[in-house]
Amino acid sequence: MTLSDFTSFLMKNSKTIMEYSENHFTLVLLAVGISLAIWVPVGLLLTKSDKWAARVLALANTIFCIPSLSMFAILVTIPMFGLGRKSALLALVLYAMMPLIRSVYDGVKNVDRNVIEAARGMGMGTRRILIEILVPLGMPIIFAGFRITVVMTTGIAAIATYIGERNLGRFIQEGLIRSNTPMMVTGALIISVIAIGLDTILGLVEKRIVPKGLRISR
Amino acid sequence: MIELEQITKQYPGQAMPAVDKLFLSIPKGEICVLVGPSGCGKSTILRMINRMIEPTSGIVKINGEDVTRTDPDQLRMGIGYVIQQIGLLPHRTIAENIAIVPRLYKWPKEKIRKRVDELIVMMGLDLEKTRGKYPAQLSGGQMQRVGVARAMAVDPPIMLMDEPFGAVDPIARTHLQDELLRLQKEIKKTIVFVTHDINEAIKMGDRIAIFDAGKLVQFGTPEEILTNPINEFVEDFIGRDRVVKKLNLYLAEDAMQPIGCVVKGNELHNVAQKMKDAGAQVAFLLNDEGKACGQITVSDTEEFGRDIEGLRKRVLRREKAFVQTTTPFPDALSLLLEYDTDYLGILKGEELCGMLSFKGIRKHVYRKEGE
Repeated sequence: MTLSDFTSFLMKNSKTIMEYSENHFTLVLLAVGISLAIWVPVGLLLTKSDKWAARVLALANTIFCIPSLSMFAILVTIPMFGLGRKSALLALVLYAMMPLIRSVYDGVKNVDRNVIEAARGMGMGTRRILIEILVPLGMPIIFAGFRITVVMTTGIAAIATYIGERNLGRFIQEGLIRSNTPMMVTGALIISVIAIGLDTILGLVEKRIVPKGLRISR
Repeated sequence: MIELEQITKQYPGQAMPAVDKLFLSIPKGEICVLVGPSGCGKSTILRMINRMIEPTSGIVKINGEDVTRTDPDQLRMGIGYVIQQIGLLPHRTIAENIAIVPRLYKWPKEKIRKRVDELIVMMGLDLEKTRGKYPAQLSGGQMQRVGVARAMAVDPPIMLMDEPFGAVDPIARTHLQDELLRLQKEIKKTIVFVTHDINEAIKMGDRIAIFDAGKLVQFGTPEEILTNPINEFVEDFIGRDRVVKKLNLYLAEDAMQPIGCVVKGNELHNVAQKMKDAGAQVAFLLNDEGKACGQITVSDTEEFGRDIEGLRKRVLRREKAFVQTTTPFPDALSLLLEYDTDYLGILKGEELCGMLSFKGIRKHVYRKEGE
């Protein structure tokens, strides 16, 4: 493959590239959004019960171990989901379970118990302690888990092409079948750029969102 | 006033109750120290007062009212709480940390700001340098100052302190103790103070409650406890130097005796006669401004006889052998030993107002001991 092969592929297929990128992006965004909405509260809830935390974390771990191709294959066989976006979303949300729950749980559990004790002793209620202490103090760990989730979701979303998602994974899949190198490279490159780009942006967000007092030392 | 009535705390899975049928009444405006070996239940008792722990049975009353009738958060907002590990919020500045309880009370911003500044200054911290700092930027001693300031923010009548100075270095601890005592003279809070250190208990407590295995063994003023330990446990807990510890409770003025004889610098040659006439064992030398600057004992005069210059030298070597009326006995004793003398002049400010003798200290302690 020469550079001109590559650029001419880009020129000729710009519309498809845009479409696939958009699809890919939406899938990732939806999956991450739903995952946050479900798993962050679950993670917070689990900090209340060590017994349930152990069970749910074990389940999340097990799900996380299933290879992504197998996961998609299994979901497609379920009548309610079948081929397409529903199955893709469900798979991505299930994969996000482990890193998100784990990081929220660890983040909150790692908060200095004395800080919570002092806050309680001053008359701060459970809600206040959660919002004003546990979440901000757990934020470094929670956010690290969130970044991993986003990058991972971007990658696994590409594989959803096998169950009918028309996204950047399709360039790689079809490129492989047709031995079309520029097509493969285009898919691989854009997915990587999206993943790295998202992670970089989140890195910047992290700097703003992690409380200053935690980054400071004498 | 805080009253504990037949309080029992039984933790599940433990054979012995952590606190066993405790009656204790803590008077208003005093520092009451709960002391005992670790595991004796003292912290549990403290934490039952603000319902951080709920008793298995029994009632805790504050000013006659059962605390279980109040919402726990409301109750705690009205009680200052200081713990050994301090527990400052690391993501909040010092000013924000102190403002926590005022914020819970929804004070207006301006009032909070004024109160925070007042407290930072009151705790002896540099206002401009400290306000905006984060806890990680402070030393242990400074952090605990903030911890105490935070507990006092809304001026609660009751403060609970759980080994508050246990984690700071000895010098900072002494400072913090002295300052709390100084503050207490003005603020007159009801303070319940937990420690395992009997010396801290004697120093800080208006009253001391000694616990062992969940039971109150003895409750009384430091003097009562040091004078009449109720049993062997208390005696052991206080230590073999019980009476020496007791010295801390007394000040030089407690055993002050009148001065028998003073001399001027030009009267040294007949000091022996003067002392004999006055029937005094010691004479104090005054300089030209009338300030005390030394002492002569009968044995000095016998030793030097006609050697006035030798005598003068001996006298002036004891230029610093004086204490203030408020000097505690141990410091006075240290001076007595340092100058190898039996007497010390007592000053009030710069003026000589009496004297303290080794015998006087002994008698004073013995009299108290015998009571």
